[in-house]
Amino acid sequence: MARTFVRGAGGPWSGRLTRRGFFSRISDGVHGAALASLLSHDLFGARKSPHIPAATDLHTRAPHFEPRAKSVIHLFMNGGPSQIDLLDPKPELKKYEGKQAPRDILSKIEFADEVGGLLPSPFEFKRHGECGMEVSELLPHFASVVDDVTLIRSMWGESFNHEPSLFLMHSGRTMPGRPSLGSWVVYGLGSENRNLPGYVVLDDPKRLPVNGIQNWQSGWLPPVFQGTRVRSDGPPVLNLHPGEELASPLVDAERDLLRRLNRTHLEQRPWQQELQARIASYELAARMQLAAPEALDISQETDETKEMYGLNREETASYGTRCLMARRLVERGVRFVQIFIEYQIWDNHSNLEENLRYSCNKTDQPIAALITDLKRRGLLDDTLVIWGGEFGRMPLSQVGREGSAGRDHGPDGFSMWMAGGGVKRGHVHGATDEIGHKAVEGRVSVQDFHATLLHLMGLDFQKLTFARHGLEERLTDQYPARVVTDILA
Amino acid sequence: MLRYGMGELASSVPKCRSPRKRAWIAACLALVVLPSTASQAAEPPKFESHVLPVFETHCLACHGPESPQAQLDLRTKKGVLQGGASGPAIVPGASARSLLLAKVASGAMPPSGGKLTAGQIDLIRSWIDGEAENARAEPNRLVTELDVLPVFQMRCVTCHGKRRQEAGLDLRTRESRLKGGASGPGVIPGQPDESLVLQRVLSGEMPPPDLLMENNIRPPASDEVELLRQWIAMGARPAPEDTGSSNTLVSDADRSFWSFQKPKQHAVPEVTEGQRIRNPIDSFLLATMERKSLAYAPEAAPETLVRRVYLDLIGLPPTPGEIEAFIEDRQPGAFGRLVDKLLDSEHYGERWAQVWLDLAGYADSEGIIDEDRIRPNAWRYRDYVIRALNDDTPYTRFLTEQIAGDELEEYEGLTEVTQQTVDRLAATGFLRMASDPTYSFANASLGEKLTVVSDEIEVISSAVLGLTMGCAKCHDHKYDPISQRDYYRLSAILQAAYDPYEWIDPTERLLDISLKEEREVASKHNRPIKSKIESVEAQLKEKTDSFRLKAVKARIGDLPDKLQEELLALYQTPAEERDSNEKYLARKFREVFKISEGDLASLYPDYKENAEDLRKSIADLRKTLLPEPKIRALYDMGGEPSAVFLLRRGDPRLVGQRVFPGSPEVFDGVIEPMQVVSPRPGQTSGNRLALARWLSQPDHPLTSRVMVNRLWAEHFGRGLVSTPANFGKLGDQPSHPELLDWLATEFVRSGWSLKRMHRLMVTSQAYRQSSSVGQAALEQDPDNELVSRMPMRRMTAEMLYDSILRATGRLDTKRFGPPAEIEVLDSGEAVAKGSPDGWRRAIYTQRRRSAPVTLMDAYDLPQLSPNCTERGQSIVATQALQLMNGASTRNHAQYLAGRLLDENPSDRNERIQQLYLRIYSRRPTAEEASIALHELEKIEDHWVSQLEEQRDPAPRGPMARWRALGSLAHAMLNSNEFVYTD
Repeated sequence: MARTFVRGAGGPWSGRLTRRGFFSRISDGVHGAALASLLSHDLFGARKSPHIPAATDLHTRAPHFEPRAKSVIHLFMNGGPSQIDLLDPKPELKKYEGKQAPRDILSKIEFADEVGGLLPSPFEFKRHGECGMEVSELLPHFASVVDDVTLIRSMWGESFNHEPSLFLMHSGRTMPGRPSLGSWVVYGLGSENRNLPGYVVLDDPKRLPVNGIQNWQSGWLPPVFQGTRVRSDGPPVLNLHPGEELASPLVDAERDLLRRLNRTHLEQRPWQQELQARIASYELAARMQLAAPEALDISQETDETKEMYGLNREETASYGTRCLMARRLVERGVRFVQIFIEYQIWDNHSNLEENLRYSCNKTDQPIAALITDLKRRGLLDDTLVIWGGEFGRMPLSQVGREGSAGRDHGPDGFSMWMAGGGVKRGHVHGATDEIGHKAVEGRVSVQDFHATLLHLMGLDFQKLTFARHGLEERLTDQYPARVVTDILA
Repeated sequence: MLRYGMGELASSVPKCRSPRKRAWIAACLALVVLPSTASQAAEPPKFESHVLPVFETHCLACHGPESPQAQLDLRTKKGVLQGGASGPAIVPGASARSLLLAKVASGAMPPSGGKLTAGQIDLIRSWIDGEAENARAEPNRLVTELDVLPVFQMRCVTCHGKRRQEAGLDLRTRESRLKGGASGPGVIPGQPDESLVLQRVLSGEMPPPDLLMENNIRPPASDEVELLRQWIAMGARPAPEDTGSSNTLVSDADRSFWSFQKPKQHAVPEVTEGQRIRNPIDSFLLATMERKSLAYAPEAAPETLVRRVYLDLIGLPPTPGEIEAFIEDRQPGAFGRLVDKLLDSEHYGERWAQVWLDLAGYADSEGIIDEDRIRPNAWRYRDYVIRALNDDTPYTRFLTEQIAGDELEEYEGLTEVTQQTVDRLAATGFLRMASDPTYSFANASLGEKLTVVSDEIEVISSAVLGLTMGCAKCHDHKYDPISQRDYYRLSAILQAAYDPYEWIDPTERLLDISLKEEREVASKHNRPIKSKIESVEAQLKEKTDSFRLKAVKARIGDLPDKLQEELLALYQTPAEERDSNEKYLARKFREVFKISEGDLASLYPDYKENAEDLRKSIADLRKTLLPEPKIRALYDMGGEPSAVFLLRRGDPRLVGQRVFPGSPEVFDGVIEPMQVVSPRPGQTSGNRLALARWLSQPDHPLTSRVMVNRLWAEHFGRGLVSTPANFGKLGDQPSHPELLDWLATEFVRSGWSLKRMHRLMVTSQAYRQSSSVGQAALEQDPDNELVSRMPMRRMTAEMLYDSILRATGRLDTKRFGPPAEIEVLDSGEAVAKGSPDGWRRAIYTQRRRSAPVTLMDAYDLPQLSPNCTERGQSIVATQALQLMNGASTRNHAQYLAGRLLDENPSDRNERIQQLYLRIYSRRPTAEEASIALHELEKIEDHWVSQLEEQRDPAPRGPMARWRALGSLAHAMLNSNEFVYTD
């Protein structure tokens, strides 16, 4: 059995000259790949090994079949937005208002001592668009784009706690240490931009989401597939530039100095390809210093666009900026962009009404603008926009905290939506039970959702594997995942 | 609008005793569970006509009535429902929870031949989902004790078990359940409706709603209650007789695999090229090489060798003085003397401890949940490892102390604590390093506790045995002869300390044992702070109590005066002083008396503000406390632990046969199986001590081989077995099996001395080779499997971090104790806090899972899950960005430049010489020196313009000279020559 670890090819000090080992350690962009291919011809002749090395660079790779989408924008709603108050109307709940919830709900609840009665939504729902999708009054802007959206009302997860649920949504299992969804996609397809990372994370300047930087880790996939955190204010990438501002002739002179040192060193060791790869990684870093600020420079946008995203309003400016940046990034070929929202603002254990209004006001307009903007630029056809949190919320109230009632975590049935690349437009999939607790029709597990997403990207979730400890690891692990064909356009 | 007043809540959420409510709940349950049929127009598929034909073509060859694999017979519906070794094959009505569907949909089954089509899979799915009705109509299998055990273990034994037996009731065993407690028998076989246990559960009285949070319990779900009912109705049957526990699962063929056989002592081979042999390692290597007409690469230059061996043995580059001393030592044996000096250095333990801490999964925080709570005492384990390595503690003792230090040491009721006691107890921190979120009430489910235990099993098996055992948690290992039973035997060894049903949260699982001096320092520092905290807490309590009273008064304002008075008096009587009448009243008005902090805050804004201030000052005071000098240890809890059962699919709800502590079966007959003897009966089980002794047998097939292979991998860049954590069938075969065995037996002969093994390896000629590759070697030995040269190696994250500090003169060599803290800068970069003495070595820097030092993180610091058995190596642009532009590297470079200018104010040449010596561990060639001088001048000019632009008031010339020298040092620290060693 061939051993194809990629990371860890031979111990901490490994300096092996294996072709595989070598490839595994050069992980940068097209440049790295080009160099690798050059070297493979010069030094190794044609590919000898029957074991094709796992992809370890950002070079564009062919999908398994014709893709429906080329890039993804994942709008991650940390905290667990309440489906019952936003996207999944349950008028029947009014009948049971204040009644005790059934045993199966109480056996899976986070705050067992703060259980109230069943709680109907205080918000009005109306039908919108040609498709007539029912949407809450809290999302007026989203209501205007429902004809471009597939809404899944039958998602279900495995844990009623944030951390495991975030791990599940990101990596397919409820534990840390596995590669993130974005890492898998970029591992499968590479990137279309040689000077930018393939997987970009736009986090909220106010606070990281739960699980912090672990959300975009690459686990045991090579680190080049890790999400690169890009800030929407201040320097976009950590240490993209030196701490003090230096004049460019000085920067160039310092760079020349380093090149010279490396060249002298390399001349005496022409057989050490790794040294060349490391030199190349410095060159890529230099190119990234130019490319990243340009990609994120929203001052190049028109006033009309900026207003559409709500950059002129205090509530929407922060999230709107990130949505606009996301559009600019996918326009430039970045494969996977993830946008986070201030910590877990959807975690409304109390003050449901006030807190939901706050979160919706921040995000509703920018999100609708993103869909509209992508569409008018012809980008929506091959960009998949995903909206959703780590779970939903319970149909019963949570009481006993400061302020008015809220809702506890609800993993058994919740809503997510997708728009663009390859999904039906104006479509609703699945349903929860009468009280909005559990998905009962067209149930979609998180692994089904992952399998479907990979499918839309042209990847077969069973074939996108990574060999590790003798196992063929995949995003959906050993779960019985399936592609939700009903939502495919 | 949706705020519930207490009265409203009390009337609308009664405990559901009334039949009407129960009926409603049943209706509601039905609507929750039943799949909607509206969308399914077509007739649901039937087993005989639809599903069986699929099974016949794809499954029955292995899972038929004759000798069914995994005891699973799919020929009949009954067989499917009964299931096999992994439990029922389907859950009627719940395809998503059905193992059979999981297997076929994931493609895991059938293992070979044609997979099922999407249509066939959908057919099976609809059949399972349609089976819900039938399942309800007739219970389809015998329900026994094993099925209901989880209901009791997960919900009841906290109060009715080993530590507590409320109302005289013990619900751990079938007998004790039948016997019952103060209120009568708990279970009456055949009479579910008369059985108290079921009655109390159905009424919602048990588990008690007000104790759920405290004990981290959720009420049983309806299918579990139904199972309980069926079990009692069917006569409360005991677990089926266990017929399979004595049969062997391992064949002789399994045992004959090379790594399960004892290491053999091979004769050192004869080789022709005698003059290049320094010790037997060379004989073994050259014997193989000769067959391919290869020879060693030439010997490396002294300055290459000195840098190599310093980084290798102590993780730091040599100082200029140390380089010169070695190069000038012309006496024979100079290199051997240097090796001895380094092995004696206190820095040796600091470098090599990291290798072991990776295997243990060492971290200074708990991880998993967002809080990522700091472990204030973890460093004692780190210090133990450093000390033990520096003392060259024999490896078997090192293992025994870490696995069972508490069992070795009689620590109960000690009057005087010695360093040995502290060391041995701290050593068990080895099994306390896995992420443990169970201090948080929301993350202390049984599953999370079991994960802590399985992580530690993974640590032991991957670190010590070089085997991956994780798969056997859910099923027999597919490739190696490790059965699921073997896995749960290991789990049973840990159960006496880590009992998932008698859990201790990680912040409490500490031993309050410490050296007197340490205790005194802490208590002297903490005493005044603690008394301040107490007084603020008293203030807060007074405030809260008075506002609570006010709130109660307001709530009962509408009641008759007499009752009001009575209730107020009652409210102020402590619970334990109430008589039975008062107790009754208190229960009745429970909801009235229940006033949460949240209620108070919303009712009284002035209270809220005040209380918040007080709480903040308590929190601030707490931060200034020194942590109590306790030991984060693993220790036997004494007495009889909960019984251990094999968990089918690793699921605590699917209980299989009972298992007892024991070693993996494949080693039986090769070496002695594990024998448990308690050193202090009643106090400690002796289970882990037995495991340690079993591992320490001199001819254990894996213990010595795995460790020498690791040392080899560290010194030579790849292991003789290139998969150091997998010596099983999926691992690589050894490249030099005889050398591996020779080293393993030599290791045992040397008294398991690690330092002796290091010495043997680094004083071989193999280690002294140059890293240059000749054409022949490149063709004949492209992977360097034969060790025909030394590999070029990149520094590990810690070496890079430490070497930058050492080279620039900013290393603070303070040893041991609490780690240097991490701070996250506004930019998001995580750096260690320094002191006037500089920065401490990476090993003494806090390992916080959520905030790794950014520079080290970029250079492949591992994500521990639960440990790291092999460091990754990557080359990515972010490494360049961190090293070029990160907060610290330039500062350090600039600092070094300043020092060199101070030391050699008028000698430009000497400054260059020193720069090369410190950063590259060698002197520059004449050409390099002259180029460097030339480049410095150019950069100096640029700095002059830069400073002019910045309108820097400092004198331009000296400032530019300093900055330019800093630029050169910075470039050198970024260059390949610094980061790689030849």
